[in-house]
Amino acid sequence: MILSKTTPEEKDIRNWKIKLILAWLFTIPVAVLMFVEKFSLFMIEEKIMTIILLILSFPVMFIIGFSTIRSGLKGFTSLYFNMDSLIMLGTVIAYLTGIFSLFFVIQDYSGISSMIMAFFITGKFVEAKAKGRATQEIRKLLELGAKKARILKIHEEIEIPIEDLKLGDIMIVKPGEKIPTDGVVVKGASSVDESMVTGESIPVEKNINSNVIGATINQDGILYIKATKVGKDTFLAHIIELLEETQSTKIPIQKLADKITNIFVPTILIISALSFVLWLYLSKDLSKAIGISVAVLVIACPCALGLATPTAIMVGTGIGAKKGILIRKGEAIQTMKKVKIIVFDKTGTITKGHPEVKEIYSLVKENHLFELIGSLEKLSEHPLSKAIVKKADLKKYLDVKDFKIYRGKGVYGKIRNKEILIGNMKFMQEKNILLKNHGKKIKEFEEKAYTTLIVSESKKIIGIIGIADAIKEDSIHAIRILNKLGFKTIMLTGDNALTAKAIAEKVGIKHYIANTLPEEKQNKIKELQRFGMVAFVGDGINDAPALKQANVGIAMGTGTDIAIEAGDLVIVNGSLIGVVKAIKLSKATFKKIKQNLFWAFIYNILMIPLAIAGFIHPVLAEIAMALSSITVVTNANLLRRERI
Amino acid sequence: MKKLKITIQGMHCASCAANIEKAVSKIKGVKSVSVSIMTNKGFVEAEDNLNPEEIKKTVDKIGYKVIIVTENKLISVPK
Repeated sequence: MILSKTTPEEKDIRNWKIKLILAWLFTIPVAVLMFVEKFSLFMIEEKIMTIILLILSFPVMFIIGFSTIRSGLKGFTSLYFNMDSLIMLGTVIAYLTGIFSLFFVIQDYSGISSMIMAFFITGKFVEAKAKGRATQEIRKLLELGAKKARILKIHEEIEIPIEDLKLGDIMIVKPGEKIPTDGVVVKGASSVDESMVTGESIPVEKNINSNVIGATINQDGILYIKATKVGKDTFLAHIIELLEETQSTKIPIQKLADKITNIFVPTILIISALSFVLWLYLSKDLSKAIGISVAVLVIACPCALGLATPTAIMVGTGIGAKKGILIRKGEAIQTMKKVKIIVFDKTGTITKGHPEVKEIYSLVKENHLFELIGSLEKLSEHPLSKAIVKKADLKKYLDVKDFKIYRGKGVYGKIRNKEILIGNMKFMQEKNILLKNHGKKIKEFEEKAYTTLIVSESKKIIGIIGIADAIKEDSIHAIRILNKLGFKTIMLTGDNALTAKAIAEKVGIKHYIANTLPEEKQNKIKELQRFGMVAFVGDGINDAPALKQANVGIAMGTGTDIAIEAGDLVIVNGSLIGVVKAIKLSKATFKKIKQNLFWAFIYNILMIPLAIAGFIHPVLAEIAMALSSITVVTNANLLRRERI
Repeated sequence: MKKLKITIQGMHCASCAANIEKAVSKIKGVKSVSVSIMTNKGFVEAEDNLNPEEIKKTVDKIGYKVIIVTENKLISVPK
């Protein structure tokens, strides 16, 4: 990859700037001469005046404005008309009146041709600058990646360009340096500033086996990192790719504006021709008819309409990316406005997703119980199983035969020829295991918000395990804000009603749906959708179907583990406050889109008839046109002022 | 189905983006196309056998230039 110093945007701005200076160099004398002529300050012979104006306007029109004239002409030859077609036609007609006026009696508009072109170029320059501002966050993301990496090659440190970095290379990252690519720490410990990708300002502690993200900054220790992703597979590359796609796809509200943009230029060509004929017929004044048709051509502005939505989305997605909110589907911005119900998955979303065994009630010798549960759960990957294995902390695992997982219920296996079951109450009932007089203990655990698992050996209960998953620090705060904003908040969990109720109360969620098996989540969302638009917040890995089912799927991530494909919105750092911000950002962006579309429509609806009626001078028409698209882009940039 | 990302040169206004969309959507095998004036990029969903040259030619004919084409198999099915 060749890294050029100037970005395409900067080149664009510089191009328009040069054109702008050159254009006005010739146009200012034109304006002065026209002023002099109008107020008869001193007399120049009319034909000589026209020739001077034609000479001065020529370079503005056909050299400086060459690309505009050419692209406008291309519109006529290919019948795919564009904005330039209107400017080209308007200015060329005006220029030609100058030549004709040398031979016939007709008003000379040639000076006006260069003035329109100069204002058009000025407008383009300002618009290019505003667009540059609108794309600044994305450009920063593009520039974020490291250019070089220092790697360990047979006891030697060498520096290589980032393109040569390979999977498995061991990178050495010193304090203050950028981590070149995604990887896993193999030696060392440090804290890493991940704010540029997650929006989280507090540095994250990294130890051996921690995942790190490329382009984040190592703070205080030396880290040895094994590269696990390079090139276009890195987290940063994914984010950029995703944003580019969001910014290039359409959202429903845009449809009408797009339809109009599609037929806009040809329609204006027809309207302009009709105004010419009408005015010629009514006033019998050819010059006036020409002036009006030129004004109609240059006042019409499909740009404001076409830019209204994409500029706002550009700025919105950019602000989001900076705060660790990825808008993957632009449509979500529009849908979010109608969402009334927000459903949260419990594990990993409201809670940290790292359950711990809090209490064990053993009816046999504790060692014996630990041996059984540790050995059996060792075979399962479920987070609850992992918590149990960790708690049992066995040196040696017993042999398990006929191991079986009952999803959302429990596990089964034979140890020393005895049938062992670990699972929830439902599972025990299904397996006809009598709870006898342990009901009270179970209830006590559940009221403590523990996920409660029962252990049986040969159909006899031998222990009860209470597991809890700590609530994320900011979950309570976030839920409070969402409740206040008027959303109906609902928690979805596999826990039973008592445990669910206890957790829901702790975080301040009003409603909960308990005993939900993983595969039922999608259906629960479907049922809730009968009451209104539903947003679902869950992790992208296990909850993908539910995220898809919801009107807006909000996927929670932690560092590189994000399943980006799953959600419409992705909260990179997995904090519920991120959800609040994402909702605010969506709403603010959508508001900007509506404002922009409103102004763009109103502008064209008011100005075109005024031009047809002959109230607007062609030069004023061009100024108004330039201002309309500048307004739209600038208004989109104002989105940055919103407090998200 | 596959997805193509095209980088376009020479667009200067919203009707340019609309023109490219209109022209590309008429190519046989193209399912959907979306072009952004802000990013100078377009995303095309098309049948697997569509030749990217076809898109290049079409865009060229109406006065713009495709400078980069990247292809991706479509993994996720849109909602």
